[in-house]
Formats: sequence, structure tokens, C-alpha cells
Amino acid sequence: MNAIETHDLTRYYGDLCAVNHLSLSVDHEVFALLGPNGSGKTTTVLMLTTMLRPTEGTATVCGHDTVRDGELVRRSLSYVPQDMAVDIKLTGRENALLFARLYGVTAPKDRVDELLAVMQLSDRADELVKVYSGGMRRRLELVQALVHEPEVLFLDEPTLGLDVAARATIWEHITALKKGGMTIFVTTHYMDEADRFCDRVGIISRGMLLALGSPPDLKARLGNDVITAHIDGTFRDPGVDGIMLFAFASDEASFLAENGREALPVLADAFTRAGIKVRALALREPTLDDVFLHTVGTPEEPAGFDQTKFRTMLRRRR
Amino acid sequence: MRGVVWYIERDFLRWVRGRVAVFSALVMPAAWLIFVGLALPIRFTDNYLDFITPGILVMTMLSAGLSGGTLLMFDKILGFLNKFLALPSPREDILFGKILFVSLRGLIQATIILVIAVLIGASVYSPLQYGLTYLILFLFGVLLSAFATTLALYLEDHDSFAAVNTMISMPLFFTSSALMPYSVMPGWLRVIAMANPLSYAIDAIRAVNAGALPVAQIASLMILGVVVTAVSVQVFRRVTV
Ligand SMILES: Nc1ncnc2c1ncn2[C@@H]1O[C@H](COP(=O)(O)OP(=O)(O)OP(=O)(O)O)[C@@H](O)[C@H]1O
Ligand SMILES: [Mg+2]
Repeated sequence: MNAIETHDLTRYYGDLCAVNHLSLSVDHEVFALLGPNGSGKTTTVLMLTTMLRPTEGTATVCGHDTVRDGELVRRSLSYVPQDMAVDIKLTGRENALLFARLYGVTAPKDRVDELLAVMQLSDRADELVKVYSGGMRRRLELVQALVHEPEVLFLDEPTLGLDVAARATIWEHITALKKGGMTIFVTTHYMDEADRFCDRVGIISRGMLLALGSPPDLKARLGNDVITAHIDGTFRDPGVDGIMLFAFASDEASFLAENGREALPVLADAFTRAGIKVRALALREPTLDDVFLHTVGTPEEPAGFDQTKFRTMLRRRR
Repeated sequence: MRGVVWYIERDFLRWVRGRVAVFSALVMPAAWLIFVGLALPIRFTDNYLDFITPGILVMTMLSAGLSGGTLLMFDKILGFLNKFLALPSPREDILFGKILFVSLRGLIQATIILVIAVLIGASVYSPLQYGLTYLILFLFGVLLSAFATTLALYLEDHDSFAAVNTMISMPLFFTSSALMPYSVMPGWLRVIAMANPLSYAIDAIRAVNAGALPVAQIASLMILGVVVTAVSVQVFRRVTV
């Protein structure tokens, strides 16, 4: 039995399909759901945490159906929403104690003390949350979520709006929790974090799961090398066989090539012939950012970049 | 049911920490008591203060109950409701906690108003009479806060809630028996006033003060309270899956 299983999970808001036949299984790992704004990440999390009824399909958490056994599901999970919700009129300790009591934890005071210490909040615990920084509030939310030792933890954009150090701290805690055997489901926009700290990622766009795997796997599947070109003036694809344009944003175009070293001069030539001014060309290994852009497409392009269609289009143009 | 206690404790802490709001809610009813209760030249009774005090107590509960809906509205807007809904404790506890807290807070405010009334010359009654008065005010508070929380669950944003709130609270008060007895009302007002649930509570308290036991009014308040709470629970279940 996997900690989280979904089968054709679907949710419509009126006519809008926010999540489209999502099938996933997640178990004893840090799993990240990645996707552009409005792709259905929060909707997925809300369905898994029994806050929203699926239009179609099923989901189980720790073997319990999210619709039929809501209470058993809620017993095994904790949920930290995307928009921070800690009570600014209460102290950190009061915030945490409220949740410990609502969860029916035995010895709530001790449990809260222990967790406040783990999250480095002990010395500020009796101040009102009003004076807490964003990072402290996030850690307090983790304290609230962890009071009852959940088997599965859902974090909707846990590092949103935090500085680099605070983000690193949050991820340290997440990694430690996973080592303790917890299953952690996060959503994030930060590819570098997903790459470094998550065991597997799923990329969704417009509610559809387009890629699924470990970051190294996904990067390897993209293959080869990435060439980025900084363009002056107007840009159009020079159209070289075997060198595929997969992203273009502001003045930077990204290409995929089998062999980057050999492709570099070819591409440079093609640019010159096409009369496009290039300020710089760089060769690098693919990152998760590249995987993401390749999968969901740049904003100007339709989602789900179709590689073969693109190739045919290129050939036709020449 | 343990959850109810913790939800009430939370709301109570938040309430007493917003110091200004604790007192500002009392200004209106206190002003009515002093400026209308003492100053209005009235001919149908020689102690208008005694006549109007039950009305002002019920008015205190009315505004306490209605504004109690904003608590749930803000919990909804600020994401607290979602976090509470993700907890394994019974979800209805959230609602019952709210209704009870708002009613109890109204009773605390009504107590202060009652003390002011006695200080400026209202008659003092027996402990049993006060006990019955509190029972009536509590039942009325439950009715009002159940209504307000239902409204808060239905409406999308705080502005529309506040709009509905102001739209109904003043007319409800003026069309009740708070300010004058039925005998001096124009005919059309009498009809409305007799149907107004505020009048049930006000008349019941006046009856208690006169030494009677208003079984019919207490029973109606109780039945209304149960019905509206049941509706509130239904709406709550529907909006939260
Ligand atoms: N309550 C709602 N009613 C109607 N449409 C909604 C509702 N909630 C979300 N949507 C729509 O569903 C789609 C998915 O939204 P969702 O919040 O799941 O996206 P997301 O991936 O979490 O986005 P973000 O990264 O911005 O948080 C969006 O198009 C959004 O406008
Ligand atoms: Mg979201």
C-alpha cells in the first residue's frame, strides 16, 4: 500500500478542468508537484486532503479513500496551505498548542515544547506571531502540522516568499522528516529546490500530468546538451536539423543538441546566415528548469510542446 | 466535543487582545440606555429606563450575534477554516464553537450593560429573574449567531456580509417591541413587531421582570434556535464537502 494513490483524479470548476485524470502513487519520499500558475497543484492537494470532492476518479491516503473515509484520511495527514494561516493575535506557543489539543495529542504542552525547539522557535515562542518573520511563520506552521506525527505531510508551496537561508532551513527539516519515514508531498515553483531535495517530481500543466520521474532521470531523458543564446534584436529560429529550439524568453533562446560542442559552431553559422545578432552562446548540462520549459512550453507556446510536429514544421520552412 | 472548548478558547484570546473592539461594541447600547432611556419624555410609563432595558439587552445580543458572523467570515478568508477542516476532530465543532463563543461573548457584554442600567437607576430583580433573563438572552444569542454564521458561510466576501448585517440589524430593532409597548404602536407596526423574534426575547424578559414565566416565548426561541442551528449545520456540511 502506497501512502498516496490517485486514480484518474479529476476536478472541474464549472466548465474548467482544473485537474485532468491524474494518476499517481507516492510513498516514503519527497514528491514535488511542479507546474505553472493555475495548473491545478493546489486543487490536487485540496482533493487529497479531503477539502474538495473530486469530480471523477479516486484517491487514497494511507489506504483510506478520501471521500468515503475522510476522517481516517485526516487522521493520517497534515496540511500546510499555500497562503500562510497562523494567528497573528496569538503567540507562537498558543498557535501550536491549539493544534496539539485539537489533534488530541497526549501531553500537548511537552509535544509543543519539543517541536518549537526543533524548529528553533523556543526563545520567541511567547511573542505574538504578529512580530514573526515570514520564515518563522512557516516554521510555526510546520510545528502545527507535526504535533500529531502525521504519516503524510502536504505542503503547498512551503518556501514561497522566503529568503535563501529560510528556504534552506525549511528543506533541511523536510529532508529530516523524510529520513524519519514520513511521506511528503510538496508543490513548488522553485526548480532548483525540487532538483536538490525531491526524490521524484511530477510536472503538470492545465491539470494534466506531462512528466514524472526523478530529477536526474528527467534530465537524462531530455538528453544531450543545452545551448543558450543571448539575442540582440528580433529573434527567429534559425532552423538547424538536430538542434531543437525548446524555449524562448525575453532575449534568451534555449536549444537542445545531441552533441553540444559540435552544435555550437553550426548554430553560430546559422545565426549569421539568418542575420540574427547573437551576443553570447553558452553550453551547459540540462537543468530541471530546461525539463520544465521543454515539458510545459514557454508562455507564448501551447502547452505540451510537440517535438515531432515542431520538426516537421521546421523542415517545411526550409 | 472537546474541540468546541479549544475553538472557544482561541476566539476568546483573540477577542480580549483586540482591546478597542471589546469596548467599542458596548458604546452603542450604553448610549441608547443613557440618552434614550433617561432622556426621552415618555408618557405611557413612569420608569422608561425599566421599560427599555430589556430592549437594550436584546439589542446588545443582536449586534454581538450578527457581528459574530464576521469571525467565521475572516476564518474563511484568512485560510484558518481550511486548516481546521483538515483536522480529524469533528468538523461541526468549528461551527458549534463559533455559535457558543459568540453567544457567551454577547452575554458578557449584556452583563456590562445590565450593570450600567442598574447604576443609572433601573430596578434590581431577584436572582431567579436574572437567571431567566440570561437564559432568554442566551437562547436569543444562539439563534442570532447561528443565523449569522450561516450567512457568513453562504456569502463570498466580508463586504457583502457587512452590508447584509447593517441592512437587517437596525430595521429588526426598530420593528420590535424594544422602544414602545404594543398598545401605543400604529396598527401596521404592531403586526410586524409581534412576528419579530426580537420581540419574543424582549417580551419574555419583561414578563420575567413582572414576575411571570413566559413559557411560550422561551419555547419559541428554543425551537427557532434549534431549527436555525440545524440549517447552519446543513449549510456547513455542504460548503465543506
Ligand atoms: N474555487 C475555484 N473556483 C473556480 N475556479 C478555480 C477555483 N480554484 C481554482 N480555480 C481554477 O482552477 C485552476 C487551477 O487552480 P489551482 O489553484 O489548483 O492552481 P495552482 O497550480 O495551485 O496555481 P498556483 O501555482 O498559482 O498556486 C485555475 O485555472 C484556477 O483559476
Ligand atoms: Mg496553488
